[in-house]
Amino acid sequence: MCIALERYQISQLKAGGEKKVEIDNIVDLETIKTNMHAKNKDDALKELAELLLQNEYISDVNGFMTDIYAREAEGQTGIGNYIAIPHGKSSFVKKIGVAIGINEDEIPWETLDGNGVKGVILFAVGNDNDGAQNHLKLLSLFARKLGNDEVVENLLQSKNAEDVKEAFGQ
Amino acid sequence: MNIVGVAACTVGIAHTYIAQEKLENAAKKAGHEIAIETQGTIGTENELTAEQIAEAHVVILAIDVKISNRERFEGKRIIEVPTEVAVKSPNKLIEKVEKIVEQSYQERESK
Repeated sequence: MCIALERYQISQLKAGGEKKVEIDNIVDLETIKTNMHAKNKDDALKELAELLLQNEYISDVNGFMTDIYAREAEGQTGIGNYIAIPHGKSSFVKKIGVAIGINEDEIPWETLDGNGVKGVILFAVGNDNDGAQNHLKLLSLFARKLGNDEVVENLLQSKNAEDVKEAFGQ
Repeated sequence: MNIVGVAACTVGIAHTYIAQEKLENAAKKAGHEIAIETQGTIGTENELTAEQIAEAHVVILAIDVKISNRERFEGKRIIEVPTEVAVKSPNKLIEKVEKIVEQSYQERESK
């Protein structure tokens, strides 16, 4: 029953193309931080993980960070254009979400274009995603937007959480 | 040119979809028709139809993992790259694909 309902909702989203609904479900103003002053990757990840903890997306910062670093070790999460997408599946995730940080200065990061990173999008996804199809779908639509140069440009210029949300609304 | 492809990364959350978006944008910009299927944590989406595959001049596989139903592309010209190539330089990749396809058609004609 539950699955059927979720499928219905997804098909509604597809049919209606209701971009606003999609974004509102994934981009949470409470887990966005602009004008950040992280000096390195670890600082940035911790700061964003704390936001996820405070807003009940994850249950433990250190445990979650260990899982994120496991993915970091597998390959570059800096996708170029000053954006990094640290992610991984973690049993410390309570609900699917993202934390977004816009840093004032470039942070050293392993990236595809050799540049540093100013926009960090930290994905929180659990190991067991039964019943989370709807949220996974929204997350994939969100991830897709990071492949759009215009979205990225606006994202990096964001001065506050509302700007960030608007950047993804395009 | 008609392009089909599949994007699939290790975790299936982020790179898969970024690669899809970048490939689609780059191909459209260059004036091609493109459809990219994604195989991620959520499962297969934007699944390619038999017709789309039949009409495709080339298949781009932007993958870091084994994909399901690869046999659908048997007999097609397949260009396989890691997702990061599609993410890093989608325009260059499409240019390369154009050259490879052009070459293969020339070879066929000269035979």
